[in-house]
Amino acid sequence: MAAYDTMSKPDTRKQGAAGGWLAGAIRRNGAGYLFLAPWLIGFFCLTLGPALASLYLSFTNFDLLSAPEFIGAQNYVRMVTADPRFIASIRVTLVYVALSVPLKLAFALAVAMVLNRGMRGLPFYRAIFYLPSLLGTSVAIAVLWRQLFAADGLVNSLLAQIGIEGPSWISNPNYSLYTLVVLSVWQFGSPMIIFLAGLRQIPTDMYEAASLDGASPTRQFLRITLPLLSPVIFFNFVIQTIEAFKAFTPAFVISGGSGGPINSTLFYTLYLYQEAFSYFRMGYASALAWVLVVIIAIFTAFSFLTTKYWVHYDD
Amino acid sequence: MTDTVHDMPGRRSAYPRLTGGLRHAVLIAISFVMVYPILWMVSGSLRPASELFGGDAGLIPSQVTVQAYRDGWFGLQVNFGRFFVNSLIISVLATVGNVIAASLVAFAFARLRFYGQKFWFALMLGTLMLPYHVTLIPQYVLFRELGWVNTWWPLILPKYFAVDAFFIFLMVQFFRAIPRELDEAARMDGCSAWRIYRKIILPLSMPVLATAAIFSFIWTWEDFFGPLIYISEMSQYTVQLGLRSFIDSSGTSSWNALFAMSVLSLVPIFLIFLFFQRLLIEGIATTGMKR
Amino acid sequence: MATTIELNKVEKRYGAHDVIRGIDLQIKPGAFTVFVGPSGCGKSTLLRMIAGLETISGGDLVIDGTRVNDVAASKRGIAMVFQSYALYPHMSVYKNLAFGLETAGYKRDEIDRRVRAAAETLQISDYLPRKPKALSGGQRQRVAIGRSIVRDPKIFLFDEPLSNLDAELRVQMRVEITKLHERLGNTMIYVTHDQVEAMTMADQIVVLRAGQVMQAGSPLELYNSPANQFVAGFIGSPKMNFVPVRIGDATGISLNGQRLDATRPLAGAIGDPLTLGIRPEHISINEGAGQSLGEAHVELVEHLGGSTVLHARPAFGSETLTVVLPGQQPCRNGDKVPLWIDPARCHFFTPDGQALRG
Repeated sequence: MAAYDTMSKPDTRKQGAAGGWLAGAIRRNGAGYLFLAPWLIGFFCLTLGPALASLYLSFTNFDLLSAPEFIGAQNYVRMVTADPRFIASIRVTLVYVALSVPLKLAFALAVAMVLNRGMRGLPFYRAIFYLPSLLGTSVAIAVLWRQLFAADGLVNSLLAQIGIEGPSWISNPNYSLYTLVVLSVWQFGSPMIIFLAGLRQIPTDMYEAASLDGASPTRQFLRITLPLLSPVIFFNFVIQTIEAFKAFTPAFVISGGSGGPINSTLFYTLYLYQEAFSYFRMGYASALAWVLVVIIAIFTAFSFLTTKYWVHYDD
Repeated sequence: MTDTVHDMPGRRSAYPRLTGGLRHAVLIAISFVMVYPILWMVSGSLRPASELFGGDAGLIPSQVTVQAYRDGWFGLQVNFGRFFVNSLIISVLATVGNVIAASLVAFAFARLRFYGQKFWFALMLGTLMLPYHVTLIPQYVLFRELGWVNTWWPLILPKYFAVDAFFIFLMVQFFRAIPRELDEAARMDGCSAWRIYRKIILPLSMPVLATAAIFSFIWTWEDFFGPLIYISEMSQYTVQLGLRSFIDSSGTSSWNALFAMSVLSLVPIFLIFLFFQRLLIEGIATTGMKR
Repeated sequence: MATTIELNKVEKRYGAHDVIRGIDLQIKPGAFTVFVGPSGCGKSTLLRMIAGLETISGGDLVIDGTRVNDVAASKRGIAMVFQSYALYPHMSVYKNLAFGLETAGYKRDEIDRRVRAAAETLQISDYLPRKPKALSGGQRQRVAIGRSIVRDPKIFLFDEPLSNLDAELRVQMRVEITKLHERLGNTMIYVTHDQVEAMTMADQIVVLRAGQVMQAGSPLELYNSPANQFVAGFIGSPKMNFVPVRIGDATGISLNGQRLDATRPLAGAIGDPLTLGIRPEHISINEGAGQSLGEAHVELVEHLGGSTVLHARPAFGSETLTVVLPGQQPCRNGDKVPLWIDPARCHFFTPDGQALRG
């Protein structure tokens, strides 16, 4: 009950009988830790413990059946020197991230700009645009995509009507990855909602003042909207990029789990899955997981470092 | 006076030329493109097997039949009804776990005071960024040691330990907005922390509990990776795994049956979306997280 | 029956930051005590420490002879009315009143009896089934008070309870709370930043500043003999005028070369600076028993009907003086008026702000 009180330092005065200090500490902190208990157990047993274990496993040879065999940094060395599929998966993933995230955000922002300012029918449009995000990663949507871009799919039917004979997008290594980029951009709804919420925070009188000053719409966009929205853009950018690095289901379904054709949809997470659960190279897969953590950490840290050049915070 | 301001060129929005009808035309066009693939899938699922391919991009089947649904439903040695029941049980149990555990933990972070609170909160936020791949393999080993591979436990039990920090964060944000004086009044009324949680905070937090429940349900329903790793026996399959097996077993031979099952797998999500879209959109807008 | 509260060297620290610095205070049984002071003075923190909502970093809080520093809020026999009322928005008025009793495990008919009695007292019986959001500000205020009286506490605490009401309702509720105190006879502590509320309601006022008690006493004690310049300036409206002066001789000051009888011994060397304090209502423009301050230039006249307020610049200084004259006066902006004061009603403060007593 008194768990509410200890904003100040724990009271170190003797509280009568021996053990008073412990009793006091429990009285002040007990309730908090009881409520926290589910997360604490989960954190240690399902997050921190496993994370440390996988760090150890990344330095071992481990096939799940016999005990892990310590092999030093060999997994990491092999990755960069003797594993063309690793290199391929990095390349595929980076291309996917670099294309899908900016396109998705640009689209989300553009649509949010059009939707902004309490227009009629906004809830309707917002709902329609959000629906693909929600259906998102389900297998059904990947199935649909596979069929949209099949040799005899919807896209080619439409192209045929204007006299173009489209390729078999999914099974052509030159195009297969781009179908997945399109799928990602199609799901622009949730960043759009966040942009809408951000745009609503910009006071209308700023635009009124700017237009009284004779600022053109372009100038208003560049000088008011973008700077004031920059924290939201930054936030969306980081979140969407991390999500893009973790993308799995569509590539798995579209390629039938192979990452093909010719590794062209071999997402990093798909490669990790194959190593772990198709070839049971658990040590190597753990090393892959930690490399992913490092990539995401570097990316995030780098993004935060750039914020001072372009993200505008109210002070 | 305000009228003159309204008449100023460029005042109404950053896009003065994109007004009125034109703006709606653009939005309707985008909406159409967005939704067309889904409609096309629904339409495909209602066609006879012979009709789907061969260049028909339209939405109107020449002949409507539910044969594809019948074919799909019984297309594997275990029928899809079983998968739906499995998915439903897993999703409901996971949702209950997420909501209970996350609300308890969020209450501790938002409303109680204890030593080390800021430290744990920072760690909790840190796990938001951590890709689950890092814990994947040791967790798999752990559950395998426990004999839980090919059971639903690995898909359900972690939710009761609030492993998805997103829900904690969502609820902390909401709880913090409830006036603290209510807790204090309740304390003066003699309430324990538990009673404050139960009688004050939870009843006032129905919107966020509903939002968390909905997201939790949808994400568990759509989860593919977890079942893919842990479930191998077909009678235990979720809908997502069932769909995937269907692709493997039938190849391209019965796409309309596959479409039919795909459409069915989206129905629960679509219904939730239909009834709760306001909660979903507010949930995203306030936390700004995820999909 | 009523309860005493005693504070001995009570302190509150947040890390290195001292919010309450060693407060000693006696609160007599059945007294209505008002904590008053500018925002940030620690008055609410002190109240919350008494309530048990904040821990006490040092010193003792004693209620009826028992040290209660480590007693839980609900076990101290205290009820509190919050500034925002803190009514439970999801419960009806009835439930709001009953909640604390239910928590304490009372029987249902006992709860019902008490809730109805409290509702009767506060004239909110008709609103029992309603939710708080369907009530007006004044009605919510009554429910908040009702919630505190159902539990029959030894002590009532009020944390700026009227600050969310409009002016008219505030005056009305002020009277009602005072009446409630007279009827119940409990010890009550009331926090406000409004010195008018303090003056009108209190048996004892405690003026706080920066976590310390500047003075504690009855309203008229504080008005008539403020212990220091801060209390002098804080109590009374309009605010007391302060004029820098110097010690002229053992019992007189020099004001711009003119001698003014201080009517009391002045400690300090001739020429040392002092501050003369004189309340606006103690300055006159008619020659009386007092001493002349010379002529003043009237810069602004406020005709309030019942009284007239002058803002006048005296010949001896650059600061304007506020003068409150009884009734309606024929003064106009730009007039020259003579100012007279009664030396017995003057206050003198040393440079460190302490009052010189007569």
